[in-house]
Amino acid sequence: MEFLELLSPAFFLLAAAGSIIGIIFGAIPGMTATMAVAVCLPLTYTLGLQEGLALLLGLYVGGISGGLVPAVLLNIPGTPSSITTTFDGYPMAQRGEAERALKTCIVASLFGGFFSAVILFFFAPVLADFAIKFSYVEKFLMIFFAMSVIASLSKNILMGVFSGLIGVLLSLIGTYDVSNGGNGEYRLMMPFMEDYLAYGFSLLPVLIGLFGISTIIEEAEKGVTETSHENKVNLSKGKPFSFSIFKGQFGNLLRSSSIGTFIGMLPGIGGSAASILAYTQQKNLSKQPEKLGKGEPEGLVASESANNGLTGGALIPLLSLGIPGDSTTAVLIGAFTLQGLQVGPLFIGENIDTWYSMITGLMFANIIMFIVMFYAIRYIAKVVLIPKFVLYPIIVMMCAVGAYAINYGIMFDVWTLLIFGVAGWIFTKIGIEIAPLVIGFILGSAAEVYFVKSLESYGEYSILVTKSPIAMVLWGLIILSIVLSVMIHKKSKKQAQQESAS
Amino acid sequence: MKTLMTTAKVALLAGSVAAAPAIAFAADNPIRGNIRIVIGSKSTGGDTYQASSIIAEALADKIDANIKVDAVGFSAGYQALARVPSGNTLMIFHDQAYLGHLYKQKGYEDPFKQWQIGPSFATNPGNGYLVPKNSPYKNMDEILNAAGNGQTIRVAIQPGGVSEIGYTAMKNAVRLAYPGQEDNLVALNTGSQSDKNQAMFDGLADVINGSVQANEQYTRLPADDQKAMNFVWLTAKSSTLQGANPEGMGQTSRDELLQYASGLGVKVPMDAENDFTFDKEFFFLYNKRMSPEVVAFLDKALADVFADGKVQETLKKSFFIPNFRTSAEAQKHFQAKRDSYAKIIENLHK
Amino acid sequence: MSWFSSLNTVVIDFDQSHLFFPRIILTLIAVLGLVIVVTNARPVLRAIRSGRYQFFVKNADFFRLIATLALIPGYFWMMDFIGSVLPNMGLGFLLASIPFVFLMSMLYCHEKTRRNVTIIVANALLAPTFVWVVLYHFFLVSMP
Repeated sequence: MEFLELLSPAFFLLAAAGSIIGIIFGAIPGMTATMAVAVCLPLTYTLGLQEGLALLLGLYVGGISGGLVPAVLLNIPGTPSSITTTFDGYPMAQRGEAERALKTCIVASLFGGFFSAVILFFFAPVLADFAIKFSYVEKFLMIFFAMSVIASLSKNILMGVFSGLIGVLLSLIGTYDVSNGGNGEYRLMMPFMEDYLAYGFSLLPVLIGLFGISTIIEEAEKGVTETSHENKVNLSKGKPFSFSIFKGQFGNLLRSSSIGTFIGMLPGIGGSAASILAYTQQKNLSKQPEKLGKGEPEGLVASESANNGLTGGALIPLLSLGIPGDSTTAVLIGAFTLQGLQVGPLFIGENIDTWYSMITGLMFANIIMFIVMFYAIRYIAKVVLIPKFVLYPIIVMMCAVGAYAINYGIMFDVWTLLIFGVAGWIFTKIGIEIAPLVIGFILGSAAEVYFVKSLESYGEYSILVTKSPIAMVLWGLIILSIVLSVMIHKKSKKQAQQESAS
Repeated sequence: MKTLMTTAKVALLAGSVAAAPAIAFAADNPIRGNIRIVIGSKSTGGDTYQASSIIAEALADKIDANIKVDAVGFSAGYQALARVPSGNTLMIFHDQAYLGHLYKQKGYEDPFKQWQIGPSFATNPGNGYLVPKNSPYKNMDEILNAAGNGQTIRVAIQPGGVSEIGYTAMKNAVRLAYPGQEDNLVALNTGSQSDKNQAMFDGLADVINGSVQANEQYTRLPADDQKAMNFVWLTAKSSTLQGANPEGMGQTSRDELLQYASGLGVKVPMDAENDFTFDKEFFFLYNKRMSPEVVAFLDKALADVFADGKVQETLKKSFFIPNFRTSAEAQKHFQAKRDSYAKIIENLHK
Repeated sequence: MSWFSSLNTVVIDFDQSHLFFPRIILTLIAVLGLVIVVTNARPVLRAIRSGRYQFFVKNADFFRLIATLALIPGYFWMMDFIGSVLPNMGLGFLLASIPFVFLMSMLYCHEKTRRNVTIIVANALLAPTFVWVVLYHFFLVSMP
């Protein structure tokens, strides 16, 4: 156990500090885990390898977890992968159950984080070999599978799918990016857009524009009346948190964490798909699907365990193939190269001590994340008590900082906030549904690349089905998922009719 | 309105002068305030960011200024550079700057017209091509001959730049030896290194573009592993590779790498006399309106950095080859380099 | 089976491949949009004519709405403008945020009591400065 000698007190201190800073970054709307890791990357220059990694892993875990706070309290996903947390978290917060919602999320996060760290530790190389069985076709089907959530999420299937398609279309604006295998040509562009939209709209500014800025515009339209008095009552009125929420949720926890880990493992699909997919499956399999999206803890459990399951999952291809599994690990790879260390299929075997210390750091960061958030949450939840005339300008300001910094200083990303803030405000008024649109936007560009590349490489449509047994299984799941969500829609319609009749 | 703007600008500048003592800079430094270096890549895990961080840190120490490297990508980088002529915003990019233009990629203008070419400082000698370990082709000769004799060879590349130039050279070599057969080499257009590797695992590509840094470990896997690969070609000049540390990369020594280098183990002709080689070099780009005074200052600062000799060690440790040229030398060098590649790209498009 | 293989075959020219997927999506949007219009046009038109559908909420506060829609772009524009005059010091953010936070708070505050105004002024000065010091100087986050 030579690696134990590498674990200095500084190692644990940095992992803890990273975790706390990460939570703060994740909790500020507009700042993400990726950004936290990116801004601290130059610091690791001066630290040793183990210490640098401890800090960055802490930031990663903290940043992914912190995103749940604004998702629940303000209906703004702090990080793209906490988008599904807003669906049930915010309704709960509005009912005065903010603390209950937050604590449910934190416990689920801890489970997801631990689960994926264990999977990473025991199965990394085996799973990496499985992951490379996913070629263009299978990756496209995974994304399509995640998209099937649109059917079950929308209030009206027709409008929901329509909104989802608009989202996909918006994600295609710009170049067909060569770094994803495209040909670098513009489409859906007019000449005046070329300077700004060559890379298309960035995900995070679009998200916080649609959720954050549009909420503020809506509030302004209503005159920004303070409800803080009523909220004060609410905060103590709501149901308290108890671990009994998790009764009967073990299957959900296990399934969602596995989905998170697995999606994290597949390079190119993007982390946000993890929580989206886990949420879909929970909604399809739930005993009370009609309640999801209106403030059910089980939705939070699915979303948050999946999004923390991502952390360990995304490290699998990084450490056993040298390929990052999501945007944050793509930055993390910089830490290795800056230290002159290669990641690749032989990394674990050749750097066994580093490997053990990374797992230790990951586990430790999860524990710190849990302790800090679980006990600090009572105070954090008080954010809802801040009067709106103080809170809103700060939200706009932080969103601007985050949007500007997400791509290391691009002004157009700030304007994107405004564009989508106004668009989101108008969309809800003309019946376009925001949640399906966002999911279409998140998954759209990856769907394109893998769909087009599948057909381009194999030259026949049938390859989408016949490529491999994995592809066929995925088709089965997609069809099942769509059928289930249509059935759920029919059922809830019938219920609504019965209720109005009686 | 216009006067209002001017007044505002003057007021701001006055304010900044008042605040100036708070900002540290050496007395002879004509650049006031912080320096931002934008790079042509959006990745902080890539070689451009790594090389830029190393040189930025050394430069910041030398001129006692705050320097920050921002991975904004080429298009946003160009915009940022165009806006600030004072030297507060600089850019670092590599051969892609003109290759993108030669391959007519969207958004790439001729860098020699649009920008001043600044000093070069490092070369990444790692660009190369690989085959699966169980491939029927063992070396570059076999690949070129097979293509010349009617075999279709699929090469996974990212189109439109550094990744494609080696493929273009292979095509050119087939054209020279077997005129009319060059279309047997087919590009498989993919994106990231992960996609290129995956194309090999899926059996969609016979040869893939890769790098010593990213693929060295794959070459050490046992032959029965699906992921195992072998290098067949490193595009760098053998003299460039000679400049690396003898330990090479990972467990592969410099001497082992040299057998795949152009001109030594591998011959890919460029024309009747010369071999094709490609060194991926990093250099600064400056705003056209930046004053000669600032250019000279940065030339001297970087020359001093290299005279100290420490930065060379840092670069070599990360498998970069130190390679300093003043802006005037770099301008001439890259212009000539561009012209020679323009020729083979044109020949193939005829 | 030749009809199948001819239907099944697809050739995507790489140079045109950037249009393949957008075309599919645009077609789907057009078809779905048509279906939506056909099935919903009448009830929607009826609702608009009868005044049951209103674009703005009841008793909309147009002053605050329009002021918000002017203030946010003004803020972004100022930030960029100051940032281009004083580049790379984060001053664009700092100097634009202070007046913005102040104005937006004043706009949204209904009871301008002395206590509230003090909070607003203090917040407008402290919040941006705190963010600027911590994020720009300590964490080196890019700011305009």
